[in-house]
This record gives sequence, C-alpha cells and structure tokens, in this order.
Amino acid sequence: MTAITGADTAATAEAVKFLQTRHRFHWAEVLPWVIAIAVFYLLPGYRLLATQILVMILFALSLDLIVGYAGIISLGHTAFFGTGAYITALLAANNIPDPLIGLVAAAIGAAVLGFLSGWVLLRTAGLTLLVLTMAVTIMLGELANDFDEITGGFDGINFTNSEIFGLIEIDQLWYTSSYIYVLVVLFLSFLLIRTIVHAPFGRMLIGIRENTKRMSAIGTPVHQRQVLVYVISAAIAGIAGALWVQVQGNVTTGVYAFELSGDVLIMIILGGTGRLYGAFIGATVFKILESLTEQILGTNQPYWQLTIGIVLILTVLFARRGLYGIFEDIGEKWKDRSQ
Amino acid sequence: MSSFLNEISTVLVFGLAYAMLLFIISVGLSITMGLMGFANLAHGSFAMAGGYVTVTLVSQMNVPFAVALLIAFIVVAFLSIPFERFLYRHLYRRPELDQVLLTIGLVFVSIAGVTFIWGPDPHLILMPEYLQGSINLGFNIFPKYRIFMIVAGAVIVAGLFYGLERTSIGAKIRAAVDNRRMAESCGINTGRIFTWTFALGSGMAALGGGLGIQILGGIKPVFAFEYLVIFLIVVAVGGLGNIRGTFFAALILGIIDFAGKFYFPEGGAFVIFAVTILVLLIRPQGLFGKA
Amino acid sequence: MSKPILETRDLAKNFGALAVTDNVNFALAPGARHAIIGPNGAGKTTLINLLTGALSPSSGSVYLAGGDITGMAEYQRVKNGIARTFQINTLFMGLSVIENLYLAISERMGVATSLVRPAGKDSAVMEEAVRILNILKLEEDSLTEIHELPYGRQRLVEIAIALALDPKVLLLDEPAAGVPTTESHIILDAVDSLPKDIAVLIIEHDMDVVFRFAERITVLVRGAILAEGSPDDIAANEEVQAVYLGEGSHD
Ligand SMILES: Nc1ncnc2c1ncn2[C@@H]1O[C@H](COP(=O)(O)OP(=O)(O)OP(=O)(O)O)[C@@H](O)[C@H]1O
Ligand SMILES: [Mg+2]
Repeated sequence: MTAITGADTAATAEAVKFLQTRHRFHWAEVLPWVIAIAVFYLLPGYRLLATQILVMILFALSLDLIVGYAGIISLGHTAFFGTGAYITALLAANNIPDPLIGLVAAAIGAAVLGFLSGWVLLRTAGLTLLVLTMAVTIMLGELANDFDEITGGFDGINFTNSEIFGLIEIDQLWYTSSYIYVLVVLFLSFLLIRTIVHAPFGRMLIGIRENTKRMSAIGTPVHQRQVLVYVISAAIAGIAGALWVQVQGNVTTGVYAFELSGDVLIMIILGGTGRLYGAFIGATVFKILESLTEQILGTNQPYWQLTIGIVLILTVLFARRGLYGIFEDIGEKWKDRSQ
Repeated sequence: MSSFLNEISTVLVFGLAYAMLLFIISVGLSITMGLMGFANLAHGSFAMAGGYVTVTLVSQMNVPFAVALLIAFIVVAFLSIPFERFLYRHLYRRPELDQVLLTIGLVFVSIAGVTFIWGPDPHLILMPEYLQGSINLGFNIFPKYRIFMIVAGAVIVAGLFYGLERTSIGAKIRAAVDNRRMAESCGINTGRIFTWTFALGSGMAALGGGLGIQILGGIKPVFAFEYLVIFLIVVAVGGLGNIRGTFFAALILGIIDFAGKFYFPEGGAFVIFAVTILVLLIRPQGLFGKA
Repeated sequence: MSKPILETRDLAKNFGALAVTDNVNFALAPGARHAIIGPNGAGKTTLINLLTGALSPSSGSVYLAGGDITGMAEYQRVKNGIARTFQINTLFMGLSVIENLYLAISERMGVATSLVRPAGKDSAVMEEAVRILNILKLEEDSLTEIHELPYGRQRLVEIAIALALDPKVLLLDEPAAGVPTTESHIILDAVDSLPKDIAVLIIEHDMDVVFRFAERITVLVRGAILAEGSPDDIAANEEVQAVYLGEGSHD
C-alpha cells in the first residue's frame, strides 16, 4: 500500500486504506465457482438447468452494469441478448461455426447496436427511456418475425458449432464440455466486469447513478459516459445471448422476447442491484424457483407468474437491497454479536 | 377513386375507434404519471379487470351491456382506491425503478388471478342487437360497433374535458397536476385529490377494458401486458399528465397503427414503434409535454 | 479593473413570458471577492446556472478569460475552471465524503474513464482528496456517508467538491443557506480562507457576511442589475435601500 501524504489523522488514514484495499478479493468470492464446479460433478442431472443459470448470470451482470451501477433503467436488454444470439447462429449456419469467433462477433454486433440505440435513447431519462427501450426491443422482435426467411421465425434455425481451438467439441446433449465452456466464459467476463467496477470508471458510474446533476457540475460528460457503459453492457449481453444459443445449437425469435427483459431485471432486483454478486444470487434463485414451481405445481396454471409476482412485490416493499442485502444484514448482525 | 375512398374511410373509422379506446384507457395512466409521478405499469390490469367484470355481468348475469360497463367502471374505481392508499402511496417518493417493479409484480399476480378464475382463453360477449351488424353510411359500410365506439369515445372525451375545465374538482386536479406545491399552499388536499383521480383513472381504464372486448378480439389474461406497451407509448408521446396531449397521441397512434397493419399486414405492427421512437427522439417530453 | 475572468454581455433568460435574467452585463475580476445580492426570486441562481452552462441563455453571451463560452457544455466549462456550489445540497448522498471528492478529482485529473487500475491505487488522486479534506477540516468524516451528516457538514462538502475541481472561478450559491447561525461561521470561515487566486462570486442574503467578505457588490432585482459598486457605494445607494426596505428585510 502506498503511503499518502497528508493522511495524518486516524480517520483519513482509515479512509485511504479503505479505498486502497476495497478491490481485493474476499475469500467468500470463491464460493460461486466452487458451487458451480460441485454442481457439475455432484448433480450431473441438473447440468442443463445449471448451464442456463450460468448464462443468465452473465446476462444479469450486464444489466447490473447499467441499472445497478449507472442507474439507467431499461426494460429492453433482450435487444442485445437477441442480437448476439442471432449473429452467432447466423454465422454458424453460414459456414463460420467457430464458437469463439461467434462470441466476438456477437459482442461487437451487440455493442454497435448499443452504441446506435444508446446514443439517441440516453438523451432521455425516466419513463421516456423506459418506453423507448421497450419499443426498440419489441420492434426488433417484430422485425425478426417479419424476416422469418432469415431468422427462421418461431421454428428457428439449427446449426452446429465447430470445435473450440479445433480441439474441444461443445456437446449439446450432455452438457459436459459445454458446461465448462460456459463457466469459463462467465468467469473471464466476470473478472473483466469486476475490474471495471472497481476501477475509476466504475466509481464514476456510481456517481452518475447517485446524482447526474452533480456529475455534470464536476465536469463529467454524462451522456457520453452513459453511452460508453451502455455499449459495454450491450457487448456482454450479446455474449450471453451467443452462449445461450451455442449450447443449444438452435435459435428462435424467442431470444428477442420482451418478457426476458423483464425476467432479467427481476433477477437483479431479487439478488440485489449494484453489487455484482446480486446477479449470481438473483439469476440462480429465479431459475431454481421457476423450475421448482413448474415441477411441483405444473405449468397448466399460472403458478409461476403468481409466485414471481408476489416475490417481486415483497422484494420491493421489504427487501429493496435484494437477497444479497439480506445476507449482508445477517452478516453484520453476526459480526456484532461475535464482537 | 371510390376504392380509394373506401380504404381511407375504413382506415379512419377503424383507426378512430381504436384511438378512442386507447385514449379512454391511457388517460388515467397519464394522470397518475403526471400528477403523482408514479409509473403505474399495472394500469393495464385495471383495464383488464373492467373487461372481465363486463364479460361476467353480460354473459353470466344477463346484465345489459351499457349497464355492465357502468358497473365495471364503478367497481374497478372503488377497488383501485385501497391500492393507491395502502400500496402506491408508499412509493411516491421512491425511485422510478421501484415503482416499475412493484407494479410489474402486480401485473403478474393479476394475470395469474384472472387465469385461475376465467382460464387462459379469450372471452367474448354477445353484443346487444343495436350494436350488431353493419351500418351503411352511403360511401362505405362500417360495423355498427366501431361507430358506437367512436361516438361513445367522443361523449366520454367531452365529458372528461367538461369535468376538468368547468367543475371545481377539475380545477383542483388541474392545479395539482400543474404545480403540486402551489396547490398545496392554496389549501388543496392533494392526498385526497390523488386518491379520487387515481380511482377515476382506473375506472376509465375499466370502461375501456369493457368497451375493448369487441375490438380487441376478446378479453384474455395476457391483455395486462400485451397492451401495456401501447398505453405507455400513448402517454409518453402525449406528454406525462397532459390530457389534451394524450388525446392527440391516441388519435395519431391509433390511426397510424391501424393503417400500418392495414397496408402492411406482414410488418405493420412495427410502424407504431418506429413512429414513437422518432417522436420521442425529437421531443423527449412528448408532443405536448412541458419542456 | 483588470481584464475580467468571467463576463456576460446582454445576457437574457426567459421562462415563458417571465424575464428572469434581463440583459445582464456583468464582469468578475480575477481573484475577485464579489457578492450578488437581491430579493428572493431576483434571478440570482438563474444567473449562476447561465454562467455554468446548466441553463442556456435566451440571448446574449458569456465569456471566460475573453473567450466566448456561450455554446460550451457545462462539463467543458468545469474543465476550463468554473466551479460552483448549489443553493440546495446536490451531493452523492449514498457515498462517503472522501468518495465525493474522489469523483471530482478523478474527473479533473482525467482518470475517470480508466477501466483497469483499481480506483484507490491512484496516489495522485488520493493525495489531492486528503489535501481537500484537511483544508475543510472534514477529516473525521472522511468515511461518513453524506446522508448521515448534519446539513451544515454537508454544506462544507459542497464547497470541498468545488475546491477539488481546482477552479479559477468559484460560484457560491448561498453557501450558508439552511445552516443554523450558530454553525454558519464554520462555513463562512472556510469561504474567507479560500485561496486568493480564485475569483469568488458569492450569493448571500446575510448583509453582515456580504459586507465583511465582498470587495464588490452587484444588486440584482427582477433579473436586472440595479446597482453595482464597492460595499460603501452600495450601502449609500438610495435605490438599493428602497428595494430592501420596500420588500422587507431578509433572513
Ligand atoms: N426552470 C424554471 N422554470 C420556470 N421558472 C423558473 C425556473 N427556474 C426559476 N424560475 C423562476 O425564475 C425566478 C428566479 O429564480 P431564481 O432561482 O434564479 O431566483 P433567486 O434569486 O436565486 O431566488 P432565491 O433567493 O429564492 O434563491 C423565480 O421567479 C423562479 O420562480
Ligand atoms: Mg437562488
């Protein structure tokens, strides 16, 4: 740790130390990865669900960057997920089946869409922004349905991936190598996102979330920065979309489903926004709750909608910091008692 | 030439009928957002409730259609009061995101609720005789119901504007929308105004839900989500809290939407979104909103 | 008077039919201690918003060190040396005091878009943050989140953020507003001890403060400049007295 001149009082020294060490890894941060690996070995029957959860975590992380950190509300994040998915699938179906090329192309394509839409949309805020993000997504969904010769419509298109580095095949049946593949991509993306949010850029995003007016008054070109984070977030959402279809070998216009935008927003709210691990908790709980509800109560009645509706209402009213916030509170209490 | 006239009049009449419906439902949403600053995404659920009340009254209890609409209006208006009093009120000062999420939660619950009771399939009602069939206006033949919808819409719009412009309650509402703090310092109890306005808006939505059964191909659970986007678009394009703006936005979007679907059966649904994006990019505060 | 650092020419702003800034020709000298006074609603805050670029004028222009900045965005003006405080606290409420300063300093030093290096690792930014904390004696509250601070301490953070921007021109909009008089001296002391090379423009209702602090006073009434001069000139000006007696005294 570098010594800072002038930090002479205990309070300033403590503050400096806090900021200098905040990015360090906590031991508990290995937990998600240990769990993910344990699931792979111990619960092979749940690998499909677990793979979906891993992809949704990545998608939720991308949304958390704009909602949780930068305070940009969007109900249209599937625009990027879907675009990433289609770019990858269309490449693979047209003789460019390399999955890594697919990921990169998805990221770039989604980023371009993020730039174009973000540049214009982010001039607005609040309800107008909400409506516009919804409109863009629904419009893309309509277009995908209209151009069904290209997109395959509701039936979709099937494709096969080539081997990664010419060595590892993404198996679409048993979710062995494909599970690992998704896990590795998630891990690398997460490291990237974690670095970003602890860098000055991430702090700056929080500033925009906390007070846009003050941000302008300290010399921040707020709109440019919002567009920048929107582009980054879109690229990551594009990667998530690409993964989603790569492991299935199939894409349908469902990847543009507006409902998915709502679902992923609910995931980060449920887990807790602006704290990265909220996305892990939220996506996991959401998907498990969904599959449990459907297994136990069936799908012929809307039990799942009832459940998620009630969960959402309770979260907003009583646990605004999400499940992660609840864990934090419990942790604090525990610490207080043991002291 | 006459086929051109035919087309144009069809688009105008059908579009106008749809526009009236959009206005009747959206106006309450616009007021909630403008007056209370509350993003009520569950507004479509209140409209849906009105639809189901109407369906039940007409097909199971043989209540005349017009009476059923009136009852739907009253029932939903009163049912909405506890929502405003006990739920929404806590979130007026919370961030928009919280309001959005809470009301999305309500939409989910409402969809589940009506599916449990009425099932997932669309419900239609048998219209009274005077609204069945077509009417020949000389240059073209139109379904009677569309004409009725336009007339009923016009009457409701006129009544609403009269109420807002000429009655003391209306004056208070307008004052509260324009400047809440000023209204409060003039001794207007904005809390009570909020409640009654909210109830009125929800009642209007319910009325729209009942009137729309015929036009929208029956009432079904997904209604609350499916049309929410359109209502939000109308409100945003019209300018939050701007009643006149909401009316013109409904008019423009209703006709454009119908024209889009009429002329481009394939991709027409997307015309309205393109128009919305264009309008809001040029005027983010809406066509008639305050800058 | 030396060449003004900040200047307006025929500056006007209308809200609808209301002329809130009415052809204002105003000049701030380098290193000035300048006060603007005027009744409530005179358009003082609006003038500051026009100077910072938070609002764009209906007509007229603004010059910084002789260059026309009328069309320049707010954030660009900050980078060119104009900093301001807000009449009503406009802070990052959920962040600690040091993080509030951190944001301002990292933006000023051009590292705010850095994506890789952990935020706290930039010693230059941290040292500057600590320096400002020390200047305003906010050390003890370094890690306190703004919403946990009493309003008076928050007012100090307003000034601290502005100072952290290393301004050439500092615009203070009623820095002691909302602070009990028993505590306002802390804020006014801070204002008194601002570096001499910064041109300071202060809006203030308390005449004692104005006459103690200002070397020059501008009186704004209904958007227009009614009088300008040294404190003695203003104290002796009958028109000004009429406005202040006519409209009642101020808090
Ligand atoms: N955005 C706005 N839209 C319409 N009118 C405004 C706006 N901002 C300010 N005004 C009006 O302009 C006038 C001047 O406001 P301003 O805040 O500049 O006054 P002020 O001199 O700072 O007053 P105070 O001493 O109360 O702070 C007031 O009548 C105010 O109501
Ligand atoms: Mg002021």
